[in-house]
Amino acid sequence: MNAAQLLNGIALGSLLMVLSSGLAMIYGLRGVTNFAHGALYMSGAYLAYTLSDRLSFWAALVLVPVILAVIGVVLEMVFFRPLQHRSHIELGLITFGLALIAERLVVLIWGEKTLSVDPPPGLTGTTSVLGVDYPTYRLGIIVVALALAAILVMWLRYTRTGLYVRAASQDIETAGIMGIDVNRVSLIVVSFGAALAGLAGTLAAPYVSLDPNMGNSFLIIVLIVVVIGGIGSIGGAMVAGMGLGIIQTVSTVWSPSVAVVVPYVALVVVLLWRPQGLAGKRVS
Amino acid sequence: MSVTTLPDAPPADVVAPRSRRRPGRTLLGAGLIVAVLLAGLSVPYIIKDPYTMGLVLEMALLGLPALGIGFLARHLGLISLGHSAFFGAAAYSVGIAVNRWDLSLTAAVGFAVVVGTLVSLVMGVLVVRASGMGFLMLTLALSMALWQLALQTSFRPWTGAHDGLLINAGADASFLGMGPREIQDPGLFWAGVWVSLMGAALVLWLVGRSRFGVLLEGIRENEERMRFSGYGTFLPRLAAFTLTGVVASLGGALFAVNAGYISPDILGFTRAGDSLIAVLIGGPASLAGPLIGTGLFVWAQAHLNFGGNLHLFTGIALILVLVFLPGGLTGAVQRIARALRKGGSR
Repeated sequence: MNAAQLLNGIALGSLLMVLSSGLAMIYGLRGVTNFAHGALYMSGAYLAYTLSDRLSFWAALVLVPVILAVIGVVLEMVFFRPLQHRSHIELGLITFGLALIAERLVVLIWGEKTLSVDPPPGLTGTTSVLGVDYPTYRLGIIVVALALAAILVMWLRYTRTGLYVRAASQDIETAGIMGIDVNRVSLIVVSFGAALAGLAGTLAAPYVSLDPNMGNSFLIIVLIVVVIGGIGSIGGAMVAGMGLGIIQTVSTVWSPSVAVVVPYVALVVVLLWRPQGLAGKRVS
Repeated sequence: MSVTTLPDAPPADVVAPRSRRRPGRTLLGAGLIVAVLLAGLSVPYIIKDPYTMGLVLEMALLGLPALGIGFLARHLGLISLGHSAFFGAAAYSVGIAVNRWDLSLTAAVGFAVVVGTLVSLVMGVLVVRASGMGFLMLTLALSMALWQLALQTSFRPWTGAHDGLLINAGADASFLGMGPREIQDPGLFWAGVWVSLMGAALVLWLVGRSRFGVLLEGIRENEERMRFSGYGTFLPRLAAFTLTGVVASLGGALFAVNAGYISPDILGFTRAGDSLIAVLIGGPASLAGPLIGTGLFVWAQAHLNFGGNLHLFTGIALILVLVFLPGGLTGAVQRIARALRKGGSR
């Protein structure tokens, strides 16, 4: 193991952190596992491909989260809000259907070929970190994702809206009785969660290759992260995402075969040892 | 009226299930299943076209895991994305037993059902404590773990990794008295599959209406109260989960024998989602719902898949059914029937 591998792990971990905290926030508010989260991430990456081609990568970095936030608003207004009294399972399965549709739309628009995005001009090449030459762009991912995580934590801890979000995820009914407009909080959280997924997709676009399966494969890892962290716990999801990213990347060095099953093994171990997840209430 | 509002008057829907559980209805249902079984045996004589017959056979094979998913949804309220794992594990076991250990096909099917059942038992131990969303996510994650394992290059001698697995049963292969040519013929293979499917439906019907079935429904309605009433809830859930695992494994084993080739896709995310969607569209609330949904799905796969847009349509169909027809197609039919009966008795 060397510093480069560790940094790769942190880069993957920071992407997982951003995605899974969005998923955990939506779960906390609406009780729904958003199976379309992988599709949102994928759409973000593909939109970044087109926007960085037409305009620039920096424009994509700003515009993609905005577009995804609008999709999040649609998601909340059309599905989550009108159907909030249905069972959570039904709503979760609806997002599953949405993911199927989104995946197909991506293929219809961009084709099935694997695409790649170039890192922005200022961030090509390598930088020397701890004695190794490391791709500058990946350092960029780490910096942006960690900054985002820090902003998210501050927002949840120190702002009034953050307080509402925390209250509503703990007990949505009581929060409503106490005068919190739960629908408004949910709108903010769902659009913010979707924007985070879009941002993660944009950040990942120059780092991974784009294919119509990228959403699904990432979704499963993110679901595992959320279960390990404790369903609905944003802090738990962040810690588990970073931890899993590092462990998986580092284990790739000595055995790629083992590395693929690491998330699943971690899931089973955590379930046996702490069924409610690292930081969660009971899994239900 | 004051009489109807007394707190200890049991609400109508508490009484209704008890009256529905008359032994007469259980026997009637069992008789109906046996009649359908006998009638279904004539299908190969009616459908002469081998392509259509192949589709009908595929419906029946995929119907087995669908029965299992439907049973769990109906009696425990658990929605599983993991049954493709048991189906796939059993299919791979047939291939491994025949290719690596030269087992006969019949012995390989027996071995495969045992392996599939063990996989469901192990997965069950890990997942049945969860419910709702947690259960859905865990079954998905663990079945994806199996998919990843099957794709590993270090397992290539056993699973064929990305290439899939061709089953070399040899020229003298026989299964239930059928030679290698007959096994691949959907019309001739039909009888075995149909008997298995209807046998599984009969077993699940009887289990669902037994004391054990009532226990499961109690757990579905209020697990905590069942525990307070002195019932263990872990073992019944595990038993029900494993029972549906046996049914799904049987489907996978028969599928492998008939197809002779196993693609890793049968363990994948898409397949897991497809079988669940089929069950939900058919409606898990009745025994026939999952079978009808699977039939429709296989039909759609064959006829609506132009341009590879099948999942665009299934995704839309899933959303429409969940939003407007919760309970699926059979659920809607049941609601209409109930409304007609109510209207008639007035």
